[in-house]
Amino acid sequence: MFRRLPFALTLLTLLAACGGQSAADETVAPITAQTAAITVTDQRNTTLTLNQPAERIVTIPIPAAALMMAVDGSAERLVGIHPSSAQAIEGEILGEIFPEARTIARDVVSEGFAPNVESILALGPDVVIQWGNRGSDLIEPLENVGLNVVGLYYGTQEDLETWITLFGNLIGKPERAARIIDWQRNSLAEIRMQAEMITDERPSILYFNRLRDEMRVAGSSTYNDFYIQLVGGVNPAAEITDFATVNAEQVLAWNPDIILIGNFDDATPDDVYQNPLWQDMRAVVNQRVYKVPLGGYRWDPPNQESPLLWRWLAVLAFPDVYLFDLRADIRANYQLLYDYTPTDAQIDQILHIDLNREAATYERFINR
Amino acid sequence: MLELTDIGFAYSAHNWLFRHVSLCLNASEIIAILGPNGRGKSTLLRCAAGLLIPREGSVRQANSIGYVPQSNQVSFAYSAFEMVLMGRARQIGLFAAPRQRDYDSAQQALERVGLAHLAERPFFHLSGGEQQLVLIARALASESKVLILDEPAAALDLHNQKRVLRLLRALAHQGLSILLTTHHPQHAQFLANRVLLMYGSEDCRIGLADALLTEANLSALYGVRLRILTFEEGGTMRQTLAPMYADD
Amino acid sequence: MSVLLTGEQRKPFSGSQTARWLLAGGLPLMVVAVGIAALGIGRYSVPPEQVYRILLATVLPIEPTWSETDARVVILLRGPRVILSMLVGGGLALSGAVLQGVFRNPLVGPQILGVSSGAAFGGALAILFGLGWVFLVGSALACGILALVIVYAMSLVDGRTPILMLVLAGVVTSAFFTALVSVLTYVADPYSRLPAIVFWLMGSLATATYPRVVPAALPVLIGGGLILLLRWRLNILSLGEEEAAALGVRVQPLRWLLLVAVAAIVAGAVAVSGVVGWVGLVVPHLARMWVGPDHRVLLPVTLLLGAAYLTIIDTLARSLTPAEIPLGILTALVGAPVFFVLLRRTRGRGWVDA
Repeated sequence: MFRRLPFALTLLTLLAACGGQSAADETVAPITAQTAAITVTDQRNTTLTLNQPAERIVTIPIPAAALMMAVDGSAERLVGIHPSSAQAIEGEILGEIFPEARTIARDVVSEGFAPNVESILALGPDVVIQWGNRGSDLIEPLENVGLNVVGLYYGTQEDLETWITLFGNLIGKPERAARIIDWQRNSLAEIRMQAEMITDERPSILYFNRLRDEMRVAGSSTYNDFYIQLVGGVNPAAEITDFATVNAEQVLAWNPDIILIGNFDDATPDDVYQNPLWQDMRAVVNQRVYKVPLGGYRWDPPNQESPLLWRWLAVLAFPDVYLFDLRADIRANYQLLYDYTPTDAQIDQILHIDLNREAATYERFINR
Repeated sequence: MLELTDIGFAYSAHNWLFRHVSLCLNASEIIAILGPNGRGKSTLLRCAAGLLIPREGSVRQANSIGYVPQSNQVSFAYSAFEMVLMGRARQIGLFAAPRQRDYDSAQQALERVGLAHLAERPFFHLSGGEQQLVLIARALASESKVLILDEPAAALDLHNQKRVLRLLRALAHQGLSILLTTHHPQHAQFLANRVLLMYGSEDCRIGLADALLTEANLSALYGVRLRILTFEEGGTMRQTLAPMYADD
Repeated sequence: MSVLLTGEQRKPFSGSQTARWLLAGGLPLMVVAVGIAALGIGRYSVPPEQVYRILLATVLPIEPTWSETDARVVILLRGPRVILSMLVGGGLALSGAVLQGVFRNPLVGPQILGVSSGAAFGGALAILFGLGWVFLVGSALACGILALVIVYAMSLVDGRTPILMLVLAGVVTSAFFTALVSVLTYVADPYSRLPAIVFWLMGSLATATYPRVVPAALPVLIGGGLILLLRWRLNILSLGEEEAAALGVRVQPLRWLLLVAVAAIVAGAVAVSGVVGWVGLVVPHLARMWVGPDHRVLLPVTLLLGAAYLTIIDTLARSLTPAEIPLGILTALVGAPVFFVLLRRTRGRGWVDA
């Protein structure tokens, strides 16, 4: 599912240069700013030229809708999104931040990620954001009818930054995109610096992508593995590449110190605590089983709020090393991403305080 | 033993394969059914065996029937003995398995047809004649007093024809009643007490073999001229049938 | 059996006596041995001597020399999984053998009746609506039986069901339910429901628990018991409809009795483990090559062999790599080549022309 992109950084600098140029154009020649042509190169290496910033956008990759809202600071440009994106907006905080997002059309796919070309055409988008590495069946039908398609790869921090830059360029807000990237990079550097000072034993942290019907964990070369290592932890499942289904016995053999439960099924920490087999497991004995937060998007995969996840995990892994005030960070960065200040109740909801209240170290995240 | 009264069979209405057939098979009697292909000999036999229900008339069986089909296409490599043992189905309850007396009975049946030495051979490895004998043994194992055989010697060489025919005659002597179809008038001549000639769908004649197996009747039945040759050998008069294929 | 047997008398089994011997003692012992070995193997290591002590401790008062976790892994985790793999493996293999006999066709497997796809649809439906596993099992069983009812209704001609119509009705029903499963995967949410459905359909025993043993055990024990009682009748049925009837067997009721038993077993197996292919096709052939075609010996041997086979396969599936290997993949990967080699060697012994 996730694809590492070695040349993403190169691409990124190219794009940054490109974005900088269009910004320069605006200042030097304000008269033509309205019609300044925008050129972007997507992750398939296809170059696309728009006469002006995209005003009407359709997103098909599920995380793309929320990311686009963050880069734009609004939901107004989105005219069509994947039904699963819509689902993640409706019941969650993003729907409260951008109420207008609830009415965006969602009939843009016929099955999975296969585009529903006719309804997309009817929406009249300037650009369609689509997966770039899942076969030509997803892209060609759109290009055949003359639509502009941006093809994306997904899975690494580099991919995420590329998305942000691409989106910023597409909508003519490269500075805003650059600010988000700066924040992400600074956060990364800050955590890396503090991680170097860790002398304690490194806790093993196991991430469950799914837990209830099937125990699916993240192995090496996943984004989850990336942030487990980033904060100074060890991924016990690193002997597996990519995501894989394991059994309860294997989890027991790994005996992780910390267990993270993702947002791709309805599993809760109780599913772990109540498994009779796992009673002696370190994470259970020490109450270090956590449901991963869900903000403007699920925090477990790469998303605009990923730096907040890094800080959340860093505090849980090394409470004595990392001293972030996560609630303050959330407030500050929601301002940056969405021009919105969440209430305490909303922050509780994001952090799954209801599910994680009793877990070790979680008192650090509870409002007093 | 077996009584067919005015039976008729049709696959669709008014398209009679045969009608108005009556016969009564007595103890120790052999009746042979003769007729050209497609007249319904096998169908008549199946009606007699209770495998098909005639469209009209009645079939009365005083005893269970041992039916020996014309050709057997087994899918599994059962041994000859296992095949014979299956003849005991009527004697064995639905959920039961064969017991010692069933094995004894099957063994005796194989001995009666002279194939005890081949009991363990896979059925389909046996020659055509031996297969026919095994199927006859299976019918015997079912303790039926009536045997119904469809072309028992049709695909056999002369030696095997002799084995099967002599066995059938011996079984009739032992008290079994036998109803069979055959394409060979000389088999009927050798075996049968009475014959049923199926001339047409509503034209069947039954009578003593000696009376009905005449040159004229058989020539009319098959549309091929037949001669009955009588000659003397070792002081006894012998008869044989000869079809005149060249004539027209 | 009896010393009274003389050369003239027939032994109860005309096939090789060794086969009967193996059946009576060797094979059940082998299955038990496989089961105990499977209880001792896994990703979490429990010392072998502790495994025996833990097992003995369930019936005898033994002072624990093992950790609580060791005991839980053996009893709570591997225990139900081994039992389920035996029930499912034995049940599917037995079903395959019965169907091959009833249809007189070596290529027939439990999928032929449409029951597998019916049960698959039922299970997928329950997952789509996010219902618990009790509903999953119930729905799979119900839809499996429904598929059989549909097959019966479609194949009925003048109050009878000729084999050809039965096969056609099975193929049609199977295709229909397979299409319905596709519809479900089509409408399922690609992030939450779809992976769960796909995982379940691929076949796995990874979620085995004792409560889940029941829906597999009941059909296998009841249906399997019924089938074993009828195993000699199946010999006669396998001769074909007319011959069986001529031998005094009431073909239609007997055939449907067997098919209902098979449907219950297959639906129960699918309900707890998804669609596990190959077992029902390969194991009966292996057994037939070994002990011959007589269903009296063949069916018990197939049942035990299937139980051992799937237990071995599932043990490999859960312990070869940290990641679970889907059962369906292993049964095919192991089954197909073994099957081919044996088929070449024995040239289809047991079948007339295979």
